[in-house]
Amino acid sequence: MTNHLLSVVVFAPLVGALVCWLVGRRVRGESFISAVACGSVAVSAICAFIVAFTGEGGGALRNPAAAPVYSHLWTWIQVGSFRADYGFAMDRLSGVYACFITFVGFLIHLFATGYMHGDKGFYRFFAYLNLFMFMMLTLVLGDNLLLMFVGWEGVGLCSYLLIGYYTDRREAGDAAKKAFVANRIGDWGVVLGIMLVFWLTAGAGAPSISYFDKPLEVLGTSGGPAVVSALKTIGGMSIEPFGWRLIFAGGITSAAVLLFIGATGKSAQIPLYVWLPDAMAGPTPVSALIHAATMVTAGVYMVVRCSAIFSHAPTALFIVAIIGAATAIFAATIGLAQNDIKKVLAYSTVSQLGYMFLACGVGAYVAAIFHVMTHAFFKALLFLGSGSVIHGMHHEQDMRRMGGLRKYMPVTFATMATGWLAISGFPLLSGFFSKDEILWKTWSSETIGTAGIGKILWVVGIVTAGLTAVYMTRLMVMTFWGSERFREAHAGGQGDEAHAHAHDEGHKPHDARTPSEGDRPRHAPGEKVDSHAHDVGTHGGAHHADAHGAHHATDFGDDEEEHEEHHHGPVEPHESPWVMTVPLIVLAVLSVVGGWVGIPYALSGGAVSNYFEHTLEPAVAHAPEAGAAGAHGAGAATHGNDAGHGAPPDHGATVPASEHAHDPDEIFQERVFTGISVVVGLLGIGLGWVLFSKRPLLKLPRLLENKYYVDEAYDAALINPIKTGSREGLWRFFDVGVIDGLVNGLGRGTAALAGVLRYMQAGFVRSYAAIILLGALAVLGYFAWNAWQLGGLVK
Amino acid sequence: MQQNLLTILILLPFVGALALAAHGLLAPYANEKHYRWIALGFSLVTFAASLLLLTQPVGLGTGGEFHFVRDVPWVSAIGARYHVGVDGVSLWLVILTTLLLPISILSSWNSVEKRPLAFFAFMLLLESAMIGVFVSLDLLLFYLFFEASLVPMFFLIGAWGGERRLYAAVKFFIYTAVGSLLMLAGIIWIWYLYAESGAGATGTFDYVQLLTALQQGKLSLTINGTATNVQGILFWLFALAFCVKIPLFPVHTWLPDAHTEAPTAGSVILAGVLLKMGTYGLMRFNFALFPEATREFAPIFIVLAVIGIIYGALVAMVQPDVKRLVAYSSVSHMGFVVLGMFSFTEWGMQGALYQMLNHGVSTGALFLLVGMIYERRHTRMIAEFGGLSKPMPLFATLFVFTSLSSVGLPLLNGFVGEFLIMFGFWNSDPAVTNVSRSWLVTMLAATGVIWAAVYMLWMLQRVLFGRVTNPANRRLADLNWREIGLLTPLLVLMLYMGAYPRPFLARSRNSVEALRARVVAGSSQGVFHAEARETK
Repeated sequence: MTNHLLSVVVFAPLVGALVCWLVGRRVRGESFISAVACGSVAVSAICAFIVAFTGEGGGALRNPAAAPVYSHLWTWIQVGSFRADYGFAMDRLSGVYACFITFVGFLIHLFATGYMHGDKGFYRFFAYLNLFMFMMLTLVLGDNLLLMFVGWEGVGLCSYLLIGYYTDRREAGDAAKKAFVANRIGDWGVVLGIMLVFWLTAGAGAPSISYFDKPLEVLGTSGGPAVVSALKTIGGMSIEPFGWRLIFAGGITSAAVLLFIGATGKSAQIPLYVWLPDAMAGPTPVSALIHAATMVTAGVYMVVRCSAIFSHAPTALFIVAIIGAATAIFAATIGLAQNDIKKVLAYSTVSQLGYMFLACGVGAYVAAIFHVMTHAFFKALLFLGSGSVIHGMHHEQDMRRMGGLRKYMPVTFATMATGWLAISGFPLLSGFFSKDEILWKTWSSETIGTAGIGKILWVVGIVTAGLTAVYMTRLMVMTFWGSERFREAHAGGQGDEAHAHAHDEGHKPHDARTPSEGDRPRHAPGEKVDSHAHDVGTHGGAHHADAHGAHHATDFGDDEEEHEEHHHGPVEPHESPWVMTVPLIVLAVLSVVGGWVGIPYALSGGAVSNYFEHTLEPAVAHAPEAGAAGAHGAGAATHGNDAGHGAPPDHGATVPASEHAHDPDEIFQERVFTGISVVVGLLGIGLGWVLFSKRPLLKLPRLLENKYYVDEAYDAALINPIKTGSREGLWRFFDVGVIDGLVNGLGRGTAALAGVLRYMQAGFVRSYAAIILLGALAVLGYFAWNAWQLGGLVK
Repeated sequence: MQQNLLTILILLPFVGALALAAHGLLAPYANEKHYRWIALGFSLVTFAASLLLLTQPVGLGTGGEFHFVRDVPWVSAIGARYHVGVDGVSLWLVILTTLLLPISILSSWNSVEKRPLAFFAFMLLLESAMIGVFVSLDLLLFYLFFEASLVPMFFLIGAWGGERRLYAAVKFFIYTAVGSLLMLAGIIWIWYLYAESGAGATGTFDYVQLLTALQQGKLSLTINGTATNVQGILFWLFALAFCVKIPLFPVHTWLPDAHTEAPTAGSVILAGVLLKMGTYGLMRFNFALFPEATREFAPIFIVLAVIGIIYGALVAMVQPDVKRLVAYSSVSHMGFVVLGMFSFTEWGMQGALYQMLNHGVSTGALFLLVGMIYERRHTRMIAEFGGLSKPMPLFATLFVFTSLSSVGLPLLNGFVGEFLIMFGFWNSDPAVTNVSRSWLVTMLAATGVIWAAVYMLWMLQRVLFGRVTNPANRRLADLNWREIGLLTPLLVLMLYMGAYPRPFLARSRNSVEALRARVVAGSSQGVFHAEARETK
């Protein structure tokens, strides 16, 4: 069915962006811009919910046939048998995504109106933010792979613009560029993956890159012939066996691996995760919206959307699971030792994204999306909470200079505490259900490839869960409990900016040792910049000392003295205004109840239906199971067929696999494992409390604080050799030396032989220009004369 | 009207140049500002007239036939004809030329202080020659226009260029003149072959006649079926001229110098139109006249194109000079065009043609933007800038937008072309291209897109963002209305061509298909030598 309200969902934020940019820059009234920006997202959210829950058959999320709602606009590219439409479709998967993106997006827009208050670039910020919403919704609601790619690169662009929002700070520029380039490396995989998908479907006689079957009545009169779903075509192929060679064989496995390369870029997985922590240089609402709740989960969306492809490629699924698990534990250990409140959350995001990919890898796509949703709630909450803290602390981000804030910011504290418990897996909060689901599915995984190591992956997962609880407790303790360290060592709002400047001159941008490199004070944007530049050298040195020295207080004292001119005395932290606290409260409530839509059968005993699983099950394919591995020849061709596509008409009645057999043993086992997760989570919180409540500044291993030196290794092994090689080898030596040398040498040789040429080389340009002109005129004249004679031209 | 439209298009700028000269002679002490108005007027009229081409279904016929044809004998002693016409391949290139001319004249509005009359006259002469190149259907006529375009450009660089303008102009001239002399030899040789074959009473330079004779088997361009055959040699005589023009790695080194030293208008025309004469020539003449040789030598072009894509990007990355950076990026972009053409698929060839237009629009705009800061600061060194987004926010916005178009961001024009090219090559037929691992080639070429992001964003960061470190940049004026106005059509095109490419692709489809069919025909029987045996 067609519902063009769907296009309104996508385009409303674009209109908002244009108005903010074109009108907002003239008006410059914050209330006007806020109204436009929040209003356009609100319109989008309302329309998304209308399309999802109302209309024919109950809306996209509720209609029993699980049929998508279409809004076909125009055929974008059509060359030969290749066709990419500019059209949107909402099925159950994109419906869930669209709803939480627009809703969380609205809350974050609202929060940002408070957070960005007073910023000179207010209009620009909201134009970018609205443009981001447009791109993100294009990504999710686009009805084919290429339109998804439009959104995919579009959100990368907005991320670039917003990370680099504080344009006068070099590290922001570096981080923005790093993010875009890392994403581009991933995009390389996506583009090629799309081509391979087309190639595979063309081989099957139905060339397509569309997710869905688009019948003629959807396309309208001008839309041309009906479109066949590429996912369905691939779903009808046989499942490829497990084997490393298949990665390069150019089959479904290759396509899945190429697409996953894109996911590692967008969703910050090993080896491309390095951009996300640096991306914290952007304003905090951006971190919450783009770098926690929505954009970074696009990789998960794509993998789940293409589950028909991944489910036919057990090797690719294996890689997804391994990368996910490795990223989860790797990032968690780094998060343990960071001192910048936003950096901790950034590594936490990387780690949680790893969980989601772990879920995808073991074939638990629904669990992955469930975690995407709950994570959007509690991580957006945590980021906005940290934003509120940073706001209240006058742009201090170093947790070593916080402490005891719960007295000053009670609402922020209470809401953040909810988020903390939710991410730590405290029973009955949202994170508990989704994380538990992933861990259980990992343990019980029967998927080819991961079947043997599911238990190992589970151990990695449960250790990560414990670590998560520890580092989040550390964050809470350092921020809200303990002594009020900002009094003894707060350099004032300007200090932060001064840090940033020292940073510009003295250090490389992603230097772990600089404690504070996030938002700069926006109340004094840009203009004071140059006056701070003079004392860069000494300040940089002091900075080193301050981060490494054991006696922080003393060092901070030094710091303060050096910057006496910026020193405004200790500033009282304050609670944030209502536009910031209301989104926090709403998100806190969602962090508590958000998980209740997906309570597993084993825990509720069937009393509560697992609404989430019921909704999403028809939208995903099932992973190939190990038991059937032997039979996966051509004979198993139909395996993925029954679930591998967006909208099989007969799927409404399908019961999720998990409810097929409620084997009492299995239920018991699941309950035991839930118990283990609860215990691990609580132990983690306890351990964190014991370790850090008395010694919030406890020294942690330098290797972790410096993020395993991965950035340094990349620089040394890749970036510098390429730069130097290009400059010295390709350009100076080959281009200028060899080729030009040859050409010039030839020229000189000829000149030496021919006296005329020698004269010309030494002579005036005019003289040989004249010769050329004369020659040209002579030839032209000859032909013109001929033409005149024949009258060919004047006839 | 219909058969004279192309002649009018060629002559209008020429008449404009004459008018400038007449004005200079008759009223030598008149206000020099008159010249630019005359030039702008003529170029705008030419642009308007070129839009009349769209009134006919050019490129929409089934075989991609030529329209607006004018075919009369010219130098009858040697069978040279004045034969012009336009099809789907040349249509958009002609309009691109007529669009870029007024824009580049506007861009030189205040920057030409010395001898404005000559400057604008050369611009108009250049336009005549370029239009002539794209519409000529007679080899000799084509050659004349091809060479004629050299002269004004030589003077534009040599007289109005930067510090090393003489070196750059001479290098440009020698490089391209050597190439085109070889082509002249090839043209004359074809004339003799035609005369000897007995297909006509005398030799001919006429493209359509030659094509018909080849298709009917009356003229055979193969001898002995060996690699040293006539067709192979002819192919290279033509191809070398075009390779220099494109420029294909490794004969690209004239381009950075010419671009860097040329005045802004010269760079815009050079990148926007002159480079396309190379790829256009390959497609029009080499593909159609020497299809077997085209297939035979395709691997060489494919390998050089991929090297050019990566090499151009890597070298662009480390340039200290903005203009030089954009020049090397052209090497990379034109590599994509060549790759697409030599995929011999509808996707790749359509993409290549589209990418020619995209490159003209995007790189043209980039050179305009670089010219604008050059006019303000009289330097092009990246290190001299920094933080320009503070004093020039609008400039920064448009620069970022254009750069994004250049790096192929989806929904902007560059993406459609690059995607179709890569897509086409991935799906190319090894029996035709003689390259078996097309996916590997595509993967390598696709890295060019990553590098593009690296060099463009790094340059943007160093030019636009950060703090204003150089006091000379603190008080720069943002774009004025003239500058905004001349950029606007290009910016609109970037968006339109990215979001709705169908009108462009629909017009070029059948003509491209006709050329493709010509190259692909007979390839299934093994390559190149099969037809030689048949025709004997």
